[in-house]
Amino acid sequence: MAQPEFGKTKAEAGASTEALAARQALAKALLEKGALAAKHVLALDLLERVHEPIGKYPYRGWETLYREQWNYDSFGRTTHSVNCTGSCTWKVYVKNNIAFKEDQYADYPEISSSLPTYNPRGCQKGANYKEYVYGPQRLKYPLIRTGARGEGKWRKASWEEALSYIASKVVETISNHGPDTITFYSANQAKFAITYAAGARLANLIGGVVCSFYDWVSDLPPGEPMTWGVQTDSCESADWFNSKYIILWGSNVLETRIPDAHFITDARMHGTKIVAIFPEYNPVSIHADIFIPVKPGTDCALALGMANVIVNEVLYDAAYLEQYTDMPMLARVDNKKFLRESDMVSGGRADNFYFWNQKTGKAVLAPGTMGSSNKTLDLGTIDPALEGIFTVSTLSGEVKVTTVFSLLKQKLKAYDPASVSGITGVDPGLIAEIAREFAAIKPARIIEGAGVNHYYHNDLNNRSKILIAALTGNVGIPGGGFDHYVGQEKFWPEEGFFKLAYPLGRSKQRFQPMTLWTYVHSNITSDVDGLWPHPISTYIRESVNNGWMPLYPEGTLDSGRSPKILFIWGANYLNQAKGAEFIIANLLPKLDLIVDIDFRICTSGLYADVILPAASMFEKWDLSTTDLYTYITPFTPVIPPQLGSNTDWQIWKDLACALADTKFSFRDTLPDGSTINRDFSTLVEDFTAKGTLDSDKDTAQFILDNSIETKGMTMDAVNEQPRRFVATSEAWTSDIRDGAAYYGFQRMYELKQPLSTLTGRQQFYIDHDWFLNDFKEELPVYKPPVDGSKYPLRYLTPHGRWSIHSVWRDATYQLRLQRGRPIVYLSPNEASVRGLADNDPV
Amino acid sequence: MPVKRQIRMVADLNKCLGCHTCTMACKTMWTDRNRGQMHMYWNNVETQPGMGYPKNYETQGGWFNVADRNSIPLPNISEAYGSPWEYNYYEVLQTDGDDTSASELVPSPEPSGSGVYSSNWDEDVGAGIFPNSYYFYLPRICNHCTDPPCVDACPRQAVYKREEDGIVLVDQTRCRGYHHCVKGCPYKKIYYNPEEKVAQKCIFCYPRIEEHKGNFCATQCVGRVHHVGYAEDTSSSVYKLINKWKVALRLHPEFKTEPNVFYIPPFSPPTYSSTGKVTSTPRIPFEVLARLFGDTPGQSLNQRADRVKEIFDTIQSERNKVASGGNSELIELLIPHSETDRIQV
Repeated sequence: MAQPEFGKTKAEAGASTEALAARQALAKALLEKGALAAKHVLALDLLERVHEPIGKYPYRGWETLYREQWNYDSFGRTTHSVNCTGSCTWKVYVKNNIAFKEDQYADYPEISSSLPTYNPRGCQKGANYKEYVYGPQRLKYPLIRTGARGEGKWRKASWEEALSYIASKVVETISNHGPDTITFYSANQAKFAITYAAGARLANLIGGVVCSFYDWVSDLPPGEPMTWGVQTDSCESADWFNSKYIILWGSNVLETRIPDAHFITDARMHGTKIVAIFPEYNPVSIHADIFIPVKPGTDCALALGMANVIVNEVLYDAAYLEQYTDMPMLARVDNKKFLRESDMVSGGRADNFYFWNQKTGKAVLAPGTMGSSNKTLDLGTIDPALEGIFTVSTLSGEVKVTTVFSLLKQKLKAYDPASVSGITGVDPGLIAEIAREFAAIKPARIIEGAGVNHYYHNDLNNRSKILIAALTGNVGIPGGGFDHYVGQEKFWPEEGFFKLAYPLGRSKQRFQPMTLWTYVHSNITSDVDGLWPHPISTYIRESVNNGWMPLYPEGTLDSGRSPKILFIWGANYLNQAKGAEFIIANLLPKLDLIVDIDFRICTSGLYADVILPAASMFEKWDLSTTDLYTYITPFTPVIPPQLGSNTDWQIWKDLACALADTKFSFRDTLPDGSTINRDFSTLVEDFTAKGTLDSDKDTAQFILDNSIETKGMTMDAVNEQPRRFVATSEAWTSDIRDGAAYYGFQRMYELKQPLSTLTGRQQFYIDHDWFLNDFKEELPVYKPPVDGSKYPLRYLTPHGRWSIHSVWRDATYQLRLQRGRPIVYLSPNEASVRGLADNDPV
Repeated sequence: MPVKRQIRMVADLNKCLGCHTCTMACKTMWTDRNRGQMHMYWNNVETQPGMGYPKNYETQGGWFNVADRNSIPLPNISEAYGSPWEYNYYEVLQTDGDDTSASELVPSPEPSGSGVYSSNWDEDVGAGIFPNSYYFYLPRICNHCTDPPCVDACPRQAVYKREEDGIVLVDQTRCRGYHHCVKGCPYKKIYYNPEEKVAQKCIFCYPRIEEHKGNFCATQCVGRVHHVGYAEDTSSSVYKLINKWKVALRLHPEFKTEPNVFYIPPFSPPTYSSTGKVTSTPRIPFEVLARLFGDTPGQSLNQRADRVKEIFDTIQSERNKVASGGNSELIELLIPHSETDRIQV
């Protein structure tokens, strides 16, 4: 484009020269009279012509404007505790004591020059947490409810009044109902170990009940404890880069693991084939090499269809199956139970199991089982048969036995690609093709997320996918396996955390699975009751009576005892609840006191009796870790606690102080029969360990000092730069090694260490009576979604891009980048059938 | 007179997560505290195909010649940029210890009616019929064009291009808000501030560039989409991607402004045939990409489509090379190990 002369024709330019001269004269006169301020002079076109706006602009003094906007007084490091699995380290810039800009610190040390780094780590939500720090959602001082619960009527209270009120209710409740009616709930120590430990520590000291969270929010993949004996053990996201084949299966990492998603797009550029299996064409699918649409809730069938192909075409890794899975273990043909040592030998153990040794033609005890003294998966001279029917002499005579693999093969016959195609809608040829690729390309990995885990039969879904990872020998190697990511689930420096949170010891703590507690005390009527031979309550009673699962208060099922006080902190219990209407109708009336501790009013706060304002994530020392990487990330007080808020450690310490003032004491008998004399007058000394754990920074240091993962680290040093863990405890399935990304089950694969399952291996066969007889789930099978055919539409509720659970759901800057309100996507065809147009309210 | 150095940015659309961290990084630095800026996203991310931001900007035209001046529409704030909704927090959350009068957070104005829009209204909508639906993300800042029409459009000559880096700025003291520059930019990357009555725009974070730090949209990008450097620096990753490997294209080069932001066009998974078999055709039609991206104003749509295909072939063959154990400079560029590999300022 030619440079036009001042945007005007020559004639125009000439005409305006005269006018300009006249106006300049007028302006000069007005200025001299003082009738016109100097700043307005330019408005009268007292302009010098700029000859070369491209490259030679003469009036650049104004540019200081934006330099000043960027100027800052200081900056500090923190992260966010929203259980998003990010745990990202952020740099917060401060000017005039206002935190005005968030930027990623981007200083995670590299693991290896051959892996992309974790820098920068964050997302658009973490980039604007300041909105909450200064927003109208923020709590300013303690509030005490004055209207009905949930009505939103409050009065301002002083800290002294609020805490002494809570303390008196606690003492009264322990006296009248016992300490196991006081329940403590927070979500996930990994997102804020100190905040979590503060409440748990007080619970431990006064005898209260501490609830679980990972099962309750349905982030737990139950197939992992069933198959692997672990809660979850997943690789850090850098190991995705080591994969050659990745199936993204119900894990929309572009939206739900934003800080880690680049390892997928990086791996793809590196030649890794990316397969996306989802019911909808979603953000991560756009970066896949193939998108495979599957009918909602049928993923398990698809996995079993792949297993069918892998087994039929003998694409499995037989040597791997023999050593690292229960596939060669013998099961009785008559009652389908494992063949146990107790079947064979008088006084034999029920937790020892057999192989058929092809070398000797005899059943032989497998090493590494739960009851075995030989704690290895090394087969030595045993050559286990993977298939066949054999005869063994038991204490009660000759019995036919077969292998788990033979049973599996039989079971998988139902899942030929044509049948599976009918269930899943996936082309049978495509099912076979991805099965063959998954078996051929090593290392291959399945990344799973909440999308497929929030189904009733999620355990079967998990087990089926782990099955194909194991059949192909991918579990325990870099770049391979089955990795599930939803929530931060466990805190890496676990030992120090346990010491801090449970000073009397974990064995002296009343722990409670939150799902069971909520289900029972809210009298939830379940739509899965009719699925099984017995109602759910029958199974619960059997489990509680056998001591498989604790249920507090003790005697609930028989005596009708019920909880009386609920503390919620750093968590939005009601928002998380499936069946919140039952909680509000049935559980809340049982509670004499609900205390919510948070930096903002959330849904749980709205239904609380007392709300205590906590410091924000910019205002305290704390620690965060995530399964997605191997660093310890600190929170630090970039600014002091704002308004009338306090750090969580301080709040719980102050509550300990208020309780100490009551001088209450009682003798507490624990479920194991032991007794503890609980004397509140020493509660502050106990809580602060005689003053050594006075501040939140002291406690964070205590965790670092007491954990093998963080040995030798100081809070000041990790504030200087995040550090990678130096070792892993027995709670993890692999070692941390310099120069290598963390992945699961290395100790099983490389070191032949048994897993904590009954058989000591990846266990696909479960011979519990419920599984064998009531559920018919002794091996992975497909079960359709509950009520899947009852309704015309399926409502998928994936995690979203714009919020983490309820946080940022009410944030203006996030909402402005959406449609102002929460949305649902509906197929255009389904919408038009219902007379709906885009943006209609539904 | 040409500038001494020209800053450039390449966005690899195969890396874009659509997460808007760039948008928020920019918003929270430059346009969240002063009056009249709430509708502005100096950096935005739009789902393509889609109406973009501001609405239908691609069809609004620009200051291609003086005669266009009166025919170019001026985007309306609520209907083109989107209303910056406000919320009734104080009615719902009585954090001051009082009664609440509302039970639900609601946006104001209500996002309904025919004129409703927002900067990300089209998020993830795209085009195509399931299972062959398609879309991709397009992050956009000011292109800091080599031949910037906004400079020509300003009757007060308040828009200029910096000598040392080619960054295009609006002089905030000289501007009087005639908003001819808003009309002049065919990418609609200059915004009118109705409160301050001045034009404002992406400044390429020049206070950061002057400190040899990257612009926030690029450095905060967690997808590691952006490469930033100087056009003249042959060792920079922008030079290598644009000039050496020729895998980056301009957005709407037919606008003739010579943008200095380039894009690596996005791959897409193959379509399914009517019988449910996987095809070898990418689901984003080449014509959709060719309509958006090209090298020069003179290229035909077919030539632009051929360039997209050529880029795909180049990247795919380098990708295969690495997959089978080889080395590739291009793939190394596309997998930046750390920030210094993609930002050289």
